[in-house]
Amino acid sequence: MEPKARTTETRSNGTTSDGDEAVALESLQFTDEIHRLISAPSTDNASSFTALLELPAPQAVELLHSPESAKLIAAPAPNVEDIKGSFHFPSNTGLIERAARFSVFAGDSNNNNNKTGSAETTSNNSSQNPQKEVKSEPAETESCQPLVSDPTVEKRSIKRKDREKKVKGSTKKSKTAANESSEDAEKLPYVHVRARRGQATDSHSLAERARREKINARMKLLQELVPGCNKISGTALVLDEIINHVQSLQRQVEFLSMRLAAVNPRIDFNLDSIFTAESGSLMDGNFPSMVMPLMWPEVQVNGNRQQYQQQWHFDAIQQPIWVREEVCNNYITPENSLLSYDSSANSATLHSNQVKMEL
Amino acid sequence: MSPHHLNPSSLKSRFTTRFLRALTNINAQNPISSSSPREILQRYRRIKVAADKSMAYSVRSRRTWSRAMRWKLRSRSWRQASSVRRLKITTTCHQAIMKKTAHERESKTTTGEEVGFGVQTDGLRELVPGGEAMDICNLLDETAHYIKCLTTQVQREQIAS
Repeated sequence: MEPKARTTETRSNGTTSDGDEAVALESLQFTDEIHRLISAPSTDNASSFTALLELPAPQAVELLHSPESAKLIAAPAPNVEDIKGSFHFPSNTGLIERAARFSVFAGDSNNNNNKTGSAETTSNNSSQNPQKEVKSEPAETESCQPLVSDPTVEKRSIKRKDREKKVKGSTKKSKTAANESSEDAEKLPYVHVRARRGQATDSHSLAERARREKINARMKLLQELVPGCNKISGTALVLDEIINHVQSLQRQVEFLSMRLAAVNPRIDFNLDSIFTAESGSLMDGNFPSMVMPLMWPEVQVNGNRQQYQQQWHFDAIQQPIWVREEVCNNYITPENSLLSYDSSANSATLHSNQVKMEL
Repeated sequence: MSPHHLNPSSLKSRFTTRFLRALTNINAQNPISSSSPREILQRYRRIKVAADKSMAYSVRSRRTWSRAMRWKLRSRSWRQASSVRRLKITTTCHQAIMKKTAHERESKTTTGEEVGFGVQTDGLRELVPGGEAMDICNLLDETAHYIKCLTTQVQREQIAS
């Protein structure tokens, strides 16, 4: 491996300058990495290598800007031996570039071909450097991801997630990052939420925001269910309305069951008649009056109470439903006023006693 | 309208059938002598229980409030039925559950939803059966379902009377 590399080095020494210009831009950061590698204590290459593994992860923010450095991140794991071998070369920038490219393409070939000695691949690759470089980068990054161990991938995905949020997602690079993170989302159990402009990006605030959105969605549902809540703005008032509505519904159930208890004997239960008797007009006519029992002024209670007495006497007689229900609801709700009235009729006192016992 | 209600497995039809069955049972049990107040009161109680029970059973404990209501009804029937021992068991169970729910509730309020509706949620929790042990998210869900079932109940009772 080494002699071959040296021969390639001697052959291509003349062309290094051209190669420099050609790939200078791309490998600028790359060479920095390699310098860092070489300047690191060469005694323990493995440790420096793990340092390299740690290094790109925190710096993934910057490194991801260039696909080549992403290649660097992805490349090291399968190519430990290759780069280790390159540490022993003299510190010639051209040689470093060659070595870097060599290691990268060795890695590339390892991933793509999975055979052939590296020597052959180097000779092949060195001739086709620029083209292959560009094309293989996305393939390599994507193919290398499953190869790297889980912790690093997770770290990268976290960092990518954070970075994704910091960038607005308008640039192409962040879009590729987004694609990669969406890939990660399929593989990993992280929920990737894109933060909106001007909002905090902690995990805590994200979770809180998700909860708040859930709660708001359910409040909207409730608003639709409860009639008359659409116009009210503000969650406290809406909740008050909902509470009132639930209370009134419960009281209606009570009252209706009381009515059933009184009127029961006369009814023969015919399912078909009940089903067909359901009509929208009947319900709509009843509900508005029943929903607003609390709004009624107390002045009307007197007159209503008298009516109610009569109706309670004639429980066999089916008064029009709406009258009875208006009255009865109103009768049940202002309990204090109810108890303070003089009850001349027995049934009235009876009813007040019943109400007292129930409550 | 009618094709809607002929759906045999909808909540409305389930509730209706159960409720009517219960009503006929009650009618059969107590032959209507007169409209004496005490009897009316008794029947009212029974009918109310029957309505609640039929609604809770038609929801089939898919929902927390129906489970809580069924539990309440069952414990009430135990209490009415008999012995001191059973009563003690039910009360101790009930106390244990209430303590647990109180703990949950405390922990949930102290960990802090930070949502800002403090007072009203308490009111809502009292109203909805089983609402003490739920966080706001689920509480709103349960409330919505409970409202839907209550309106069904009211509609059916109106027709039946």
